[in-house]
Amino acid sequence: MWKFTVRRILIMIPQIILLSVLVFIMAKMMPGDALSGMVDPNVDPERLDEIRENLGWNDPWHIQYADWVGGVFQGDLGQSFRFKMPVTEIIGQRIVNTFWLSVATLVFTYLISIPLGITSGRYNDSLLDQAITSYTYIGFATPLFIFALVMLWVFGFMLGWFPTSGSVAPGLEPGTFEYVMSKIYHLILPAFSMALITTVNTVQYLRSEIIDTKQKDFILTARAKGASESRVYNRHILRNSLLPIAAFFGFEITGLIGGTVFVENIFGYPGMGQLFLESITLRDYSVVTSVVLLFGIASILGALLSDIILSLVDPRIRIK
Amino acid sequence: MTKTSLSKLLFAIMLVMLLALAACGGDDSESENADSGNNDSTNEESGADEEGLFSIDDFSNIKTNEGEAIDGGSFTYGLVSDTAFEGTLNWNFYSGNPDAEIIQWFDEPLLTWDETYVYTQDGAATYELDGNTVTFTIRDNVNWHDGEPVTAEDFAFAHEVIGHPDYDGIRYGTDFTNIEGMEAYHEGEADSISGIEVIDEKTIAITYKEVTPSLLSGSLWTYPLAKHIFEDIPVAEMSSSDAVRKNPIGFGPFEVDEIVPGESVTFTKNEDYWRGEPNLDEVTVKVVSPTTVVNELESGGVDTVSSFPTDQYPDNADLENVEFLGNVDRAFTYMGFKLGTWDADAGEVVPDPNAKMANKNLRQAMWHAVDNDAVADNFYHGLRWNATTLIPPSHPEFHDESNPGRTYDVDKANELLDEAGYEDVDGDGMRENPEGEELVINFASMSGGDTAEPIANYYIQSWENVGLKVELVDGRLMEFNSFYDRVEADDPDIDIYQGAWGVGIDIDPRSLWGNSVSNYTRWTSEESERLLAEGVSDAAFDLEYRQEVYNEWQELMVEEVPAFPTLYRSVVVPVNNRVVNYGIGDGTGIYLNELGVTQEDPIVAE
Repeated sequence: MWKFTVRRILIMIPQIILLSVLVFIMAKMMPGDALSGMVDPNVDPERLDEIRENLGWNDPWHIQYADWVGGVFQGDLGQSFRFKMPVTEIIGQRIVNTFWLSVATLVFTYLISIPLGITSGRYNDSLLDQAITSYTYIGFATPLFIFALVMLWVFGFMLGWFPTSGSVAPGLEPGTFEYVMSKIYHLILPAFSMALITTVNTVQYLRSEIIDTKQKDFILTARAKGASESRVYNRHILRNSLLPIAAFFGFEITGLIGGTVFVENIFGYPGMGQLFLESITLRDYSVVTSVVLLFGIASILGALLSDIILSLVDPRIRIK
Repeated sequence: MTKTSLSKLLFAIMLVMLLALAACGGDDSESENADSGNNDSTNEESGADEEGLFSIDDFSNIKTNEGEAIDGGSFTYGLVSDTAFEGTLNWNFYSGNPDAEIIQWFDEPLLTWDETYVYTQDGAATYELDGNTVTFTIRDNVNWHDGEPVTAEDFAFAHEVIGHPDYDGIRYGTDFTNIEGMEAYHEGEADSISGIEVIDEKTIAITYKEVTPSLLSGSLWTYPLAKHIFEDIPVAEMSSSDAVRKNPIGFGPFEVDEIVPGESVTFTKNEDYWRGEPNLDEVTVKVVSPTTVVNELESGGVDTVSSFPTDQYPDNADLENVEFLGNVDRAFTYMGFKLGTWDADAGEVVPDPNAKMANKNLRQAMWHAVDNDAVADNFYHGLRWNATTLIPPSHPEFHDESNPGRTYDVDKANELLDEAGYEDVDGDGMRENPEGEELVINFASMSGGDTAEPIANYYIQSWENVGLKVELVDGRLMEFNSFYDRVEADDPDIDIYQGAWGVGIDIDPRSLWGNSVSNYTRWTSEESERLLAEGVSDAAFDLEYRQEVYNEWQELMVEEVPAFPTLYRSVVVPVNNRVVNYGIGDGTGIYLNELGVTQEDPIVAE
């Protein structure tokens, strides 16, 4: 087990290095920089050139990369040009929001998917099952960015039940009860919108897993022993069917990253996803590279987590 | 076993590729349909759009007061932006416009200006110009929010910080190098700036190298920096310090209460404000996405917004809980011809007499060939309108109303082209250049918004009507960054480009049309240089003389056409009916301490 985990982690290192090189080169290959298009009559173009020179933007990419990597190893992700503050600090501000958004989304996802999956699997091919399956197919087919907009319009503007932008109401003292409540209130709609879409995978997995397990011999044995139907489902089938779902958890994290990019932009929710898109359009290189690197590491870690859980659950797939 | 799984894999890959291909194909045909659809609708509309037009003349830039202001109250200002604000909350360090929208609530310049953009004596300081020296006297009751007086030292300190070699902002430029001794200080050769002299606690004299009429309209730096707070912070770290980001300070009507980074800022009133205690108790500034502005306004979520997307105006013109204010924007859209290159070493524009667009007749004809009024009416419902000269009407003193520019006249365009020898020799309906070679003009235009593509296509079609073959560079619109990258670098693939330019409060056109790196057309002539220099000469302190010079320059540009303006713009801003004492634009004489509301809650649309 340990051997497997260590080996799996060792493989990650070259992956991350390759990722960082790719990310850095691609960021630098984007046309323009943070100052291009700044045709402001109050700004002297010579000053812009001076800034470019001072910040080393005119150096060849490998020199800039070396500078950057040197900093990264010391925990310094560089200075954001746009925000005029260390990237670690700006990411620190944003990652908290995204973290809670992701947690809320995961909670909603499992709250929705587990009951739906169980019902659907237990009463498969019934009318109820067909309804749930239709929902999952519609969910598969609906792009998140359209769905989130519709949710925003219906629940945010038409019904006015939820706030329409931001992560907290203006003017509240951080740390107070109202502040926390306001944070949660702002989270619900974006998290729920995302959960309704991401949940469909899990529902389907759970459904087919339960149907599969239902036909296993040991269930027959359990029934033959005279176990009650609810005991068969809760103790025997569910336990066995949930294992692959647990393994899927790591990949869920990867999926969330893609989701937050859309959802945060639609709900004006200042998290990593919004920061990512903004810094690309505004060419804030140090932020782009750091955010993408973090996303990449999160995905790799997610995959690692899944592998480890899977190997715990199912010893057959452990790599020798 | 292996064989079957391999063939299955192959099948799966084929399926994916099929889907990808289908998706690509679908995309193409879709966008083509969208194009033709747009063109169709343009044609249909042009017949029946007499009624749906608006005119900026019908708007006021001052809010009508409906009722008495209550004592206190709170006000919400929507900062319309699809990005979070940066949070560099100090005039001396900020660079993005969203930050400026926030800073204006708690800090202000020492000098204010009137509607002709000349500094007045009504601000927090008064000034006096004597020879090359401007003496500023800060009013006695002007204090920072922490109670410390705003002093001459603070003002000098702002100059020392911006001129410092470690300063990382974008404000250092010609306004500063114009101060005696500034360059030596910036290079690190001097410890202080010889041109700045602090006379007493509230008086300071600054000597400039060159005094032009521009100096008194926007070319002075008028923002002090609180020395008692910033003096211990190294210059390089100032912009990221807490004094800028978390506890920003100013001497404006409101004090910063709470900042949610990137989202919102709340303010409470500054009772000690030098113009008098503000009416409002609280102000909230929050970021609002351009897509949800209208909903926020309807629901009273914001009282007014920093900017309103003009294309959403026609659908919302009769929104009942707000009044729309309007003003002529200090900006215009233009078509520029690439006529040379920028010599970075020599720092000058080098016109190329052999450039593809070097023929004056060709450029004049291209202006005559386009009907900007049709573009303005169809795409902007009259909220943009045909532009005539390169000085926009936002500067009524210098914009030459009597100059009609070049009007839409296809016959004239054809005539000009025939005269210059651009004739169709091979009979394909398109003109060849005077040497008889095929002429393809490459047009660069930026993407953005729903109308960018149909407008670009409209222009291309208009030129086709006079027999000129114009194609989009690379066959598509360019993304903002690559557009400027390539235009700035004088990419030889670009012959003509559509750009937009915001005009400073100072009218001096040298920065865009003179010998400057921002002169993207790379066109200049002795005559133009002479006029531009005269416009800022000593004689130009006489307003009438300056007007004459600029009228002459506008006429020269209409004759030479290195670029032609296409559309002038307006801004419209909705304001909730409960708001009193509010205005947009410059020199309204209404200050934020007078801003008030007539009832506790915003009026909501039914």
